[in-house]
Amino acid sequence: MPDGGLDPVIHAPARLRVVATLAALGPGDELSFPKLQKLLDMTAGNLSTHLRKLEDAGYVHVTKTHEGRTPATYLRLTGAGRAAFEAYTTALTTLLRGTAS
Amino acid sequence: MTDDRPHDAPLDPAESLRLIRAQQERARSATEPDGRLLYLAWGVAWLVGYLSLWTSARQGADGQPASWAFAVFGGAIVSAVAFTIVHSVSRTAGTRGVSARTGMLYGWSWMLGFVALAAVLGGLARAGASEEVMSLASNALACVVVGLLYLGGAAAFQDTRLFVLGVWILLVAAVATFAGLPLTYLVMALLGGGGFLVMAGTEHLLRVRRRRLAADAGPTGRGATTEVADA
Repeated sequence: MPDGGLDPVIHAPARLRVVATLAALGPGDELSFPKLQKLLDMTAGNLSTHLRKLEDAGYVHVTKTHEGRTPATYLRLTGAGRAAFEAYTTALTTLLRGTAS
Repeated sequence: MTDDRPHDAPLDPAESLRLIRAQQERARSATEPDGRLLYLAWGVAWLVGYLSLWTSARQGADGQPASWAFAVFGGAIVSAVAFTIVHSVSRTAGTRGVSARTGMLYGWSWMLGFVALAAVLGGLARAGASEEVMSLASNALACVVVGLLYLGGAAAFQDTRLFVLGVWILLVAAVATFAGLPLTYLVMALLGGGGFLVMAGTEHLLRVRRRRLAADAGPTGRGATTEVADA
C-alpha cells in the first residue's frame, strides 16, 4: 500500500480539511452546509462532491431538514469518521517521527 | 483517488498536520464563543458600573448613588448583556446538536434567573424594604444567581476554571453584603469585576500556552483536547 497505509478517503487535502473541521466539533454536534462551506472556502459544488464521497465511505452523516420553509443541510462526523480521522492523524505522526529519526 | 489529482495532490505528513491544526483552530473559533472576550466585557462592565455607584454614593449626602451613577451602571450591564448575546449567537450560528442545545438551555437559565430575581426584588420593595436593604439584596442576590449559574455551567461544559469563578462570585456576594454601603459597591467593582478580568487574563495565557504546545504535538478530536466551551 502506498503512503504507509494512509486512508485514501481522507488523504485528499480537501476531504482532510472537511473531516478535520467536523472533528473539531463535539461528537453530538452538526454543522450547517453554508457554515462548513464558509469555513473551508470551497464552492458549493466542490464541497458537495467531497461530502458525497465521505458519506459513501460512511464517515459523514448528512441530515436534510427544513428551517421554516427553507431547506437546510447539516453535516456531522460518524463514529467511523471520527475513528478514521484519529487513525489518520496517528499514522501521520508516526510517519513524521519515522522520517525525523 | 487518482481522480482527485492534480488539484488535490496529497501533502507530506508535516504539511498535513499543519493543515489539520490550522483548520481545526479555525473551526473552533468560528463555532465556540471566546471566553476571554466575554470575561473582559463583564469585568469592564462591573468595574465601571460599580465604581460609578461607589464614587457617587460617597459624594452624596444620604449615602445613596445619584441617578447618573445608576445610568452608567445600567448602561454598562446592558452593554455587556447585548455583547454576550450577539457574540454567542453569531459564533454558534449554523451549529446543531448537543452543544447547541446545552448552550440554549444555559442561555435561558440566565434569562429566567434574572426575571425571577427582578420579581423577588419587586416583592421585597412592596413589603417595605428600606433603600439600604434593597441595594444590598439586589447586589447580593444578583451575585448568587451569577455564581450558581457558573457552577452549573462548569458542570455542563466540564469547565473547572468556570467552577472556580462561580465559587469566587459567591464569596463576593457574601463579602459585599457584610461590607455594607457604600463599601459594597467597591467590593463588587474590585473583587467582582477584578475576578472577571483575572479570568480573561488566565484564559488568554492558557490559550497562548496551548497553542505553543499544539505546535509540537499532533491534532486530535475534540474529546482528546482540553478545549472546552466557554461561558
